[in-house]
Order: sequence, then structure tokens, then C-alpha cells
Amino acid sequence: MKILLSGLFLALVLACSSGNKSEEQAFVEELDEMKLENDVISGEVSDILHRIPSPLEISVLLKTSGKKYNGAFLNSPDNLSRYNTNYKRAVNLGIYGTDLGYTNIYEQTQDGIKYMATIKDLANELNIGQFFEMETIARLVSNSDNLDSLLLITTQNFNSINHYLQTQNRSHLSVLFLTGGWLEALHITCEVAKANPGNMQLQETIGGQKIILENILHLLSFYRESDKNMAGLLVDLEALKQSFDKVTITTIYKPSTFEVIDGVMVVKDNSSSTIEITEADIENIRSVTQSIRTKIIS
Amino acid sequence: MKKLLVFVFTVFVLSGFNADAQCNSETLSTQCIPKLASGFNFLKSYKIEKGGKEYVEYSYVFTKGTQYMINVCAPTQNAEGIIVTLYDSQRNKVASSKVNDQYISAIAYPCNTTGIYYIQYTFDDTTSACGGSALGFKR
Repeated sequence: MKILLSGLFLALVLACSSGNKSEEQAFVEELDEMKLENDVISGEVSDILHRIPSPLEISVLLKTSGKKYNGAFLNSPDNLSRYNTNYKRAVNLGIYGTDLGYTNIYEQTQDGIKYMATIKDLANELNIGQFFEMETIARLVSNSDNLDSLLLITTQNFNSINHYLQTQNRSHLSVLFLTGGWLEALHITCEVAKANPGNMQLQETIGGQKIILENILHLLSFYRESDKNMAGLLVDLEALKQSFDKVTITTIYKPSTFEVIDGVMVVKDNSSSTIEITEADIENIRSVTQSIRTKIIS
Repeated sequence: MKKLLVFVFTVFVLSGFNADAQCNSETLSTQCIPKLASGFNFLKSYKIEKGGKEYVEYSYVFTKGTQYMINVCAPTQNAEGIIVTLYDSQRNKVASSKVNDQYISAIAYPCNTTGIYYIQYTFDDTTSACGGSALGFKR
């Protein structure tokens, strides 16, 4: 369809030409340059968006390491009415998306239903409500045996939204959505770490977010000039980056080995990484994260 | 005007043929999701379409302590002809799914090093230049 429209547009330009070849050529070249520039940026944005990890990974980590569910960490669905701009809606859609994943992993059915309804409302406001079939999701939420299906369908829905937004040239909403989701996962992890001081696994998880933050900053930088809300968020997250500056990640590479078991290549990673982060760094990261999040959800 | 209509019609017909000729990588990537081993949570599905490229590549931040699985689905048995190679952030090769001329359709990677990883799909021949893939994780 895109090809057809492009062809039609080009044909119209050519059909309507008055024979002034130099102007016509300059115009077409200008169009090509603009397209190239946009394609390069959107290609890079898309590549980076793909690599941002799912917040679900952190919820699974918390659950498997025996940490208890705490709904007080999450953004209340009652705050929904505060989000009356697309910027607020998109970034809070990401926050609620992470909260939904957290409630699902902990099988908190009642909370999950509230978050699902809130997400559906926000998605409708952003004209992406079609990706949520509430009847199917409500059925899955009501039975804990359906947890795998529920996680699968919600992950697929969010992936579809990101893909759709990119194809609609609304990648900025995808960026906001992923940034909100990541920030909420970081917030929850920091709060759990605060309640469990000295937990190395949580500390390393927080330290590892430095890599993701660098990618998010890069994403937001594309919109610095064109979107003042995103420029403001970039400034806030640059302050958060300063809190991560003392965190060091050291990697030692060693070739991996593998064996094939039941048709699956099982790799043994002989490389290792060390993440150095202090309790003071954690507290600093927690505090800055909380202040950015408060600004977003208020 | 006649020329314009002929042009539009031609573009329309050709794009229709192209769509038919294209592989259904979307379907193949969806088919790959339930083929993730038990206990793995789905993260991403990837379309593998060779087009004019030498390879198709995606990236993802892997976390230390998490096990990831990448599988490949194609019309051919064991996704023959499509090789998935995993590189770490320094572009060191971590794993490749072609071993002794055999194609392995799934890689399990217990990650020991947090960082950006590159999942690259290459093609041994032109007949199998179409497929799908899924990425999952478990703790």
C-alpha cells in the first residue's frame, strides 16, 4: 500500500509537471533526502526499541527470588484521570503495563483486572485500544491455570502496539511507552532492594540497568528538538544517568562451549561480568528514580 | 491521465504479486512461540526475510542469571538453510546453530554477562531465505 501511494504521488508529480526539469529534479531529490533521513532515524529507533528488555523479566526475578508481592509499589489505577495529554498517556501506559505484568506474575487477579481496565482506557485514548480483547483477557485473568496464556497474550499485545506505532510513524509514543515501563521496573526493583539491603542479586540487577538507560537516553535524544515533553524527560533521565556513573560493569570474555541436548544447543557461557555498585549508589538511584516517577504519575 | 491509470494499475498488480511471492515470516514467527521449551516466557518474535540482504539482525539486552532461548522456524525441516548466530556486545561469537553441517533449530543460552547481544540470521541458500524466530526467557 505504501509503495502504491508513493508511486501514485510520484506519478502525480510527474504528470502535473510543466516541463521544468531542474525544479522537478530538485524537488524529487529533496523528497528522497528527507525520506532517507527519516528512514535512517526510524531504522535506528526501531533497532534500539527492539533491544529494550521486557519489564516482565524483573517481575519474574523478584518472584523467583522469593520476594513478596507489594501493591503499594505500583501506580494506582485511580490516577488514570490525571493523564490528559498523549505524552502522559503514553508514558503511564508503559508504567501500568509493567504494573500489570507484576500483578500477573504474582497471580494477583483482582489487581490485574483493575490494571487491565486502566490500560484499555489509556490505549483507547491513544487510538490503540484495538490491541486489547478485554473478554479474552478477563477470562484468562480469572483462572490461574491460564497464567502462561495471559503472559503470552499481554506480551504479544504490547509487542503489536509497538510495531503498529512504528508503522504509523508514531514511534515517539513507543519510546515513551517503553521508557515508562522501564522506569517502573527500576522503581519496583529499587523499592524491593531498599527493603532487602545487601541483596547482591538485586544490586546487580539495578546496576545492569545502566546499559538500558544509555539506550533510552539515545532514543530520547532523537526527539530533543521536536518534542518538549520528551526533551524534559531526557533532562530528567540524564540526571538519573549521573547516579549510574559510579556503577562499573566489567566483562571478561572467554569463548563459550556447547552441547546438543534433545535437539537444543545448550550453550555454556564461559564469559563473566562483574557489576560494582554500592549501597549509596543504590539509594541515590532509588531517590532520583522516585522523583522522576512522581513527576510522571502526578 | 491514461498513462497515470496504467501506472497505478501496474503498481497495484505488482505489489499484489510481491505480497504473494513474499514469505509469510509473520506466521512462521508466531508458530515459533509455542515451540519455546517448557518454562520459557515469550519475549519477542522476529521475522526473517532475506530480501536483498546478506543477513537479518536484531539485538536485545540479556541479563546475567537469566536463561534465554532462541528458536527458528522455517518451511524446511529443522529450519535448514537458516543459521542463527549469537554475538555479545563486543561482537564475539557466542553460539552458532550450524554444527558439523547440521542445523539446530533452538539455542538455549544461560547468560553470565549482562549486555547487548546481537541475534543474526544468515542463509546458506536462496530457497530457505524465509522464516520466523522467537525469543524467550526463564530464571
